[in-house]
Amino acid sequence: MSPRFEDLEVGQELPGRTRLVTREDVRAYAEASGDHNPLHQDDEVARAAGFPRVVAHGMYTMGTLASWLSEWTGDPAALRRLHVNFRAPVLVEETIACGGRVRSLDPEARTAVLEVWVTLERDGATEWPIRKSEAEVRLARRSRG
Amino acid sequence: MTLNTALEGKTYPPVRVTLDEERVRAFARAVGHRGPGAPPTILTVPEIEAGLRNVVSDPELGVDLAGVLHGEQTYEWSRPVAAGETLTAEASIESIRGRGGLQFLTLRTDVRDERGEAVALARSTLLIRDQE
Repeated sequence: MSPRFEDLEVGQELPGRTRLVTREDVRAYAEASGDHNPLHQDDEVARAAGFPRVVAHGMYTMGTLASWLSEWTGDPAALRRLHVNFRAPVLVEETIACGGRVRSLDPEARTAVLEVWVTLERDGATEWPIRKSEAEVRLARRSRG
Repeated sequence: MTLNTALEGKTYPPVRVTLDEERVRAFARAVGHRGPGAPPTILTVPEIEAGLRNVVSDPELGVDLAGVLHGEQTYEWSRPVAAGETLTAEASIESIRGRGGLQFLTLRTDVRDERGEAVALARSTLLIRDQE
């Protein structure tokens, strides 16, 4: 169910989403995006760079976050801006969690600024692959059905 | 090695990219896009073709891909994009900042449609570590 601007409140958390990052999806992402950096496809290259196995593209993780946000709005024109800071790697076979919270509202423009993040659990600790990041969405007026 | 800050402002030739429908579907599946329209970050496709690919292969810059990390990314959308659209992307080096063995290169990519109207602005900041 997509949100109505009038129902949003500052501090409100968005319904989150978790997603298992599979090797197949990362390989398909490399193919579809055109980013063929071997760090994202070859375990040997990833190990030489200090990772236990292949790392997902930062843009894979951002893409997952952006698509989740877009789906939450229910309107392909709603997402106006997304700025992310990449802070930690995501390894294939890990599960990422996308989250967000309303930071501010502009009733005149019907825009909401959201603080957004992506976390994962590794060795009993929470890692933040994306944090201190921000999105702006504009929610169109809807006619009541 | 230190990146040449004189390259700030360098613009790469514009690139035309058609968002092939099958490719958009594959991209959507990969990032779990179930929402309406094309995945918002499908713009990464023209962005890579126009700019990011040049940055890592530009002999004037001399960037070693093994030392590159993606630090920040921004998209500002003027409107949603649709599968099948042809877009033009033009990338330029917006800034090069240094800090010891670590430098920050910000690449700006302007994406327009066939009528020349703005579709989106993309900004990538790459962290380039000294490999020596």
